[in-house]
Amino acid sequence: MKKKKMLISQQTMDVDMVRKVEKLSGTSVRRCFQCGKCSAGCPMATFMEHPPNRIVRLLQLGQWQRILAGRSIWYCVSCETCTTRCPNQVDLASIMDALRKLSWDQDGPSKESYVQLANKLFLQNIRTYGRQYEMRLAAVFNVKSGQFLKDMMLGPKLLSKGKLKVFHQKNRNIAEVEKIFSRIEEMRRKGEAL
Amino acid sequence: MTALSYSYYPGCSLHASASEYDISTREVCSALGIALEEIPDWICCGATPAHNVDELLSLSLSAKNLELAEQMEGNRDMAVACASCFSRLKFAQHIMEKSEDKRKLVEKAIDAPVSLDRKVKHLLEILARDFGLEKLASFVKKPLSDLTVACYYGCLLTRPADVPNLDCPEAPTIMESIMKVIGAETVPWTHRLECCGANFTLSRPPVVQQLSNAVLDSAKAAGADCIVVACPLCHGNLDIRQKEIEGIYSTDYGLPIFYLTQLVGLALGISFEKLGLDALIVSPQKLLKQKKLI
Repeated sequence: MKKKKMLISQQTMDVDMVRKVEKLSGTSVRRCFQCGKCSAGCPMATFMEHPPNRIVRLLQLGQWQRILAGRSIWYCVSCETCTTRCPNQVDLASIMDALRKLSWDQDGPSKESYVQLANKLFLQNIRTYGRQYEMRLAAVFNVKSGQFLKDMMLGPKLLSKGKLKVFHQKNRNIAEVEKIFSRIEEMRRKGEAL
Repeated sequence: MTALSYSYYPGCSLHASASEYDISTREVCSALGIALEEIPDWICCGATPAHNVDELLSLSLSAKNLELAEQMEGNRDMAVACASCFSRLKFAQHIMEKSEDKRKLVEKAIDAPVSLDRKVKHLLEILARDFGLEKLASFVKKPLSDLTVACYYGCLLTRPADVPNLDCPEAPTIMESIMKVIGAETVPWTHRLECCGANFTLSRPPVVQQLSNAVLDSAKAAGADCIVVACPLCHGNLDIRQKEIEGIYSTDYGLPIFYLTQLVGLALGISFEKLGLDALIVSPQKLLKQKKLI
């Protein structure tokens, strides 16, 4: 990756957004003293341009645009190691959730599209079927991401072992699930929820 | 002591790619006299994708399931087999207990009051604590002696410290204690709490190949014959992707990946077919025959 010089100035600071992150995650970024334990234990740090401790540092400096522009937050696997080991009770896994939510709402400039696509399809499936429909999830992901042959070799084996269910069970709570989704949308429209 | 009885939340995977986990769970519980009644028309807990981008949705889906369990007769605790569902349900209870504001939003979203009294329990604690190790030992008909097992916890069974409350997040022993009771030998190894790559299996398989390879490599190096797991996603990554991982890293692991309940079931004398052992991609036939377990 090309290294760009990092510029931090008053202009690039956005303290309001940091407050939003803190509110959503219920944790304070100011508690962090940069010991780096989160990054040391992070299984995904090698895939990230900003390891977890730097994400917190950028938040402390109000540089949230820089965070959202990268793919680090989408490469967090939610393993909870950082939160478990932080000596200052910074709930970094929840901070990552909050950052992804804000990025998601903006439909922002993130470079990571596959993870976002997978999340989107997963949630759509819940809304449509009430439960996860694994076969459809994998098939639609391949089509929409243009990787028609991805994991094709696994298909026949999984089918023969009964691990891919072609038909999906009907769920009597589908209407209830739809109501949950639409009520949340309504609450957000009215500004009652973030 | 009255017989143990739980409402049962299998989760989506156990009705599809991990059906052998569901089958073996039911077989083991029935053999032990533990009653499981599936929650009628339970819905998806939202798993990682929901909390990743929408906490309120994630909490609401879990709260809806807690409410469905609440409506069942008998005031029972909830039994969960999937590590991810277990984690989400526990997180929902934990967050709503901590934050009155979030709880109110969730109640509005599901249009019902949220009750947090119901205990959510993973199979591990049901077997080791509610049922009890000593009692479990008395049910063992065919000890798995000679079988060396690497117990793999992965992420969500134990982390973070104050949410699942199942065991120590850095040095758990609950799975080993069950394996010892059924006669298997357990090995100490480096990667039992490391991540397998989880749901990146859909979006970015190379991530899973790298992380799961490290897990398989460590188990093999420790001298394990097989790995035992209590999570359908860990299972999928280590079992279904094992062959391709072997190809990429030019190695040969040949490690069968068992669900916890499959090994417990074998020790209870339940048959190979009834435990869904033929559904495993890395076939356990050779190993189990060699150890005279089938």
